[in-house]
Order: sequence, then C-alpha cells, then structure tokens
Amino acid sequence: MWLNLAWRSAWSRKQALAMVMVSVSVSVLILLGVQQLREDAKRSFSNALSGVDLIVGPRGSATELMLYSVFQIGRPSRNMGYEGYTALAQLPQVQWAVPIQLGDSYMGHPVLGSTPEIFTRFKSQGQGLQWAQGRAFADPLTQPEALSEVVLGAEVAKRFGHKLNDKLVLTHGQSSGLGTEHEDHPMTVVGILAATGAPIDRSVIVSLQAFEAIHVGWGMGISPSAFKAAGGAQQALDIKDLEPSSLSAVWVGLHNRAEVFSVRRKIEGLERGQLMAVMPGVALDELWQIVKVVENTLLLVGMLVAVSAMFSVAAVLLVAMAGRRKELAILRAMGAAPLALMGFVLLESLLVCVVGIVTGYVLCQALLIAGQEVLRTEFGVLVQAGWPAAQAWWALAGLCVVALVASLVPAWRAYRLSLSDGLHPPSV
Amino acid sequence: MTHALQLSQLSHAWGNSPPLFDIAQLTLLQGENLFIQGPSGCGKSTLLGMLAGVISVSHGQLEVLGQNMVKLSSVGRDRLRGEHMGVIFQQFNLLPYLDVQANVLLPTRLFPSRAKAAAQEWGDAQSQALHLIQTLGLPQSVWHQPVHQLSVGQQQRVAAVRALMGSPRLVIADEPTSALDDANQLEFLDLLLGTARRQAASVVMVSHNAHLAQRFDHMFAMPLRSRA
Repeated sequence: MWLNLAWRSAWSRKQALAMVMVSVSVSVLILLGVQQLREDAKRSFSNALSGVDLIVGPRGSATELMLYSVFQIGRPSRNMGYEGYTALAQLPQVQWAVPIQLGDSYMGHPVLGSTPEIFTRFKSQGQGLQWAQGRAFADPLTQPEALSEVVLGAEVAKRFGHKLNDKLVLTHGQSSGLGTEHEDHPMTVVGILAATGAPIDRSVIVSLQAFEAIHVGWGMGISPSAFKAAGGAQQALDIKDLEPSSLSAVWVGLHNRAEVFSVRRKIEGLERGQLMAVMPGVALDELWQIVKVVENTLLLVGMLVAVSAMFSVAAVLLVAMAGRRKELAILRAMGAAPLALMGFVLLESLLVCVVGIVTGYVLCQALLIAGQEVLRTEFGVLVQAGWPAAQAWWALAGLCVVALVASLVPAWRAYRLSLSDGLHPPSV
Repeated sequence: MTHALQLSQLSHAWGNSPPLFDIAQLTLLQGENLFIQGPSGCGKSTLLGMLAGVISVSHGQLEVLGQNMVKLSSVGRDRLRGEHMGVIFQQFNLLPYLDVQANVLLPTRLFPSRAKAAAQEWGDAQSQALHLIQTLGLPQSVWHQPVHQLSVGQQQRVAAVRALMGSPRLVIADEPTSALDDANQLEFLDLLLGTARRQAASVVMVSHNAHLAQRFDHMFAMPLRSRA
C-alpha cells in the first residue's frame, strides 16, 4: 500500500522528479564515462603496440626509445648498428625482427622505413593492419621499382586527400625548407592503410632501401642536386649498396613469449652491450604514469560532479517538501507514524537516485558502444563495454551511499514536519 | 457505558510560556457528540491534537476510547488513531494525486482492522463507501473523479465519507464547515452527525462558530487563559 501510495505521489510530481533523475543520470554518466575511458585508455595505451615482444634500440633512455619507435614522437639521438639487427635476427628464440628507420618526414608526418613484413607483424589492441586501398610496397631486393613505392597511414591520406598513384616528395629531416626536399626522388602511393587509432595512422611508410635510396648522393645535409652543384661526386645506384649502416630501432617477436627476459639479456649482450631491449607493455605502463595526474584529476572532477548532483537532488526534494506538508499531514491524520512518513519520503528520493544511477550507467554504456568505432580509429582507445569493472562497482556503491545520505535530508525534514505540524496541515 | 473520552486537570504549555489551557474535567460517553467552542488561539487545535494522539500530554490525565494517552507510546497513539478515529480538517483533506475512490478507501487499506469492520457490515469496503457517498448526498459519479474536479463542499463530504469508513469510534473535526457557505454548513453538519450517530461513533468538533453548537449533545467552551 505504501509503495502504491509513494508511486502515485511521485507520479503526480513526475516532471520535477524526472528532471532530478536526469541530473543524477548525467552526472553518473560523466563519472562512469571518465572512469571507463580512463581504464580503457590506459589499457589501450599499454596495447598500442601489442604484437611486439621487444623493442630494440641503442643503449640509452627507454622512454625515448618508446616515444620515437612507437609514437614517432621526437627523434633518436643516435642509432644502433645494422649488425645488431642481423645478429639478433639470427637468435633461435627470435621468430621475426622488423627494422625501423626514422628521421625524414612528409608534411610534418614521420616517415617510417621498414620491410614489407611490418604490415603483417604490426598489431594494435591485438588487431592487425587492414588495407583501405592498394597493397604493401614490394621488396626492393626482388623488385627494384619498389624503391619509389610508399604506403600512407589513414590519417595522412585523409588529411592531404591522397589517392593511389599520387606522387609525393618527402622532406629530409623534420624541417621543411629550401634544399631539404627529396624532390629528385618522388614516391608513388601504392597502398593506404585502414584507420587503427594507433600512431601508425599518422605515418608514411617506405621500404628500408627506399629510405636509403632517397638519401644517396646527399652530403652535408643538402640535396644531391644542390650537392652536385656544389661540386660533390655522384655515385651510381646499386640495390645491394642500399643496405643501411644503422637503424633507429627493431621490433622483435619471439616464438615463446615466456623467454622474453632471457632473450632480452641475450640481445643486450650483443654488439659489446651497445643495444637495449624494452618490453613495450611494461614501458608503456611506465609512460602512462606521467599522465596519471591528469587521469586522477578527471576522476576527481567526475566524483565531485556526481556528489554535487546528489545533493542538488536533496535540495530540490527539500524545497518540494514545503508543498508536501499537506500530504504528510493528511497521511499523519490517518494514523501514519512520523517514522513511516520518513520512510515514505526516503523511498522516493532513494528510488529517484537509484533509477538515475542505473539510467546513467546504461546511457554511458550505450554511448560507449555507439562511439566504439570512432573511439578506436580516431583516438586509439578500445572500449570494453559490459559490466562495470571492480573500480566502477566501488564508484557505483559510493554513489548509492551518497544518494542515501542526500535522501535522508528531505526524509528527516518530513519527520520533523510531521511532528511539528501535528494534525494541522498548514494553510497554503 | 464506555467513555469516548475522559480528561482531568489537562493543561498544556509550549516551552516556558504560561499554559495555553487548563481543563479541570471533561467526559464524553461513547456515541455522544461534543462541540468545543473558543476563539482562535485558545488552544482548540492543541487539544484536538492531544485527543488524536499527535501531541503528547505533559500535564494531567487523558483517556481516549479507553486508552490512557499519557502512558501510550506515540506509535501506539498513531495506531489507535488509524484504527479507531476519523479526522476532518477545515480543507485540503484529500490527497490530490488519488481519485475519490482511492482517497475514501485509504483508511481501510492502511489498517486491515478497518477493512474488516467495513466488511463485517457491508460485505466489503467499497460497498460501505458507496453507501456513505449516497448518505452524504454525493452523486455516485464522483467515485472515479479526480479530487480537483470537486467543489469545496463536495470535497468536505468526501472527507467525511473517508473519516467514517470502517466504523471508527471517534471522529475528530477541526472547523470542518468553515470553508463552506452558511447554507451548506448546517446541511453538512446534520449529515455528518446523523451518519456518525447511526454508526455509534462519537464526534468531537471544534469551531469558533457558536451557532453550530445547537446540533450537538454537549458543548464545551474553552476556558480563557488566566493571566497572572
């Protein structure tokens, strides 16, 4: 009976209560959204390069190596010897090794020199690369025309509107200026990658040999034509000579991931200890610690929003209590005890909060699922909708406690009013 | 003969202020009705609150329907009111979000003993309600009407129907006629008192309007506050 009465009473004030509920659900949406994206962003960041067991580079800073070899942020201060690559590729535990050469750029986008194997080995969030158009560049060792073939990441193609067979000129280094364009070595687009959300979307990928070839004849940081004009000697081009002398980094995949520690020790023992091997997942986790402050701030803001919403619920219901005095006095005259009336009011505000929380959760999940594709391809965040994670459960439980506390405010007011009003409903 | 109420040396004061009223003796037999008259501010409403059990007795003796209100807990007093009393206010008696039917049946739904009492005589609560509606001169069509469509006079009658549902032994009415015009006042009062008499319920009513007293068995004038 009380339930039915509470329901009818609430229904008569449905507009106000609906607004209250919406404000609760929006704040829960923010809190849970921040919480979930935080978790997903962290996991996605750790999995930004998921198929690779070890990243090998010159001895130095692991963070720097991660930044340039995974995110193409910054540039290597020095390279590792090419012999290191050939030596580690011969280790029995190594299944594959993909070299990475960095340094040039295309309209501000990093140029990545590698072998065609990169397209089959690269994985982000456990997903391999897919072709939007075209194909991988060929292996120049068998098909010399591959020296002018280039593959574009999704973002590069989109930004400059490039199609297959477009010709483009890469820039030497990261600056663009007179005499630093590789204009005597134009490249042809043979493939465009589908969006992954990973940094590779922003890259331009060429073969290792092409990377070398466009630098042939360069001297003292100026282009061959300028160099020639200055009296420099021009060399003949032979495909065998296009083996680089050094590399920026090498991505390594193992037969057995469990051997990662011993292989790491082995690699770091090669080349007189000039190499460093890093486990990307671990290193990325460490990098993530840098943004942890931002992440925590977001969560804190979300929590404050939710708590303030709960108390605005309390405020709204408290104000509404003035209009409910008549109702409470009538029920009291019919034998309702003050505690029963308190429960009556508590039930309503609690239900409003709980329904708001559940709606907020469902809304949050629905939005995440709806935005899943965009989040993955545009932001590289792989969302995992579903039941809330352990931390989200705590957040939800916390919200319920706050809701209870906030609901007690109007309920207590109802209790006091029903005592002080006695039999008399105040004349309104 | 049992007493509907019996009180002696009953006084009440808010805080440290002088007593609002001080009543030496007042008794009412079950089934008889009582008119309490007094100007506003004399403590009529406080006295009614004590009779109904929502205000606790601090000084004196009070028995209502055979229960010692001084000793009874507040929950016990709420229960006594819910099971055996009906209350009518000056206005705003009805819950606006319920229709007439739900308003009228509320006492029998909140307290099973009242539903049982209604069923004993009428078969079920609805039959009694429909009978009372007819007795109090309301058209049967009000049954499913929302409360806000009724006139003030109709609302007071519905309130009376509700107060009389499930054979209460005491009906407490606080200025139930003052929202009505003169012609309707006496008609309403006669219907209320007549119906209550047939159910052997006592009616205690307070009003500032002394003209209404003639319809009652007994009249009690609130003593004026003595100023020291």
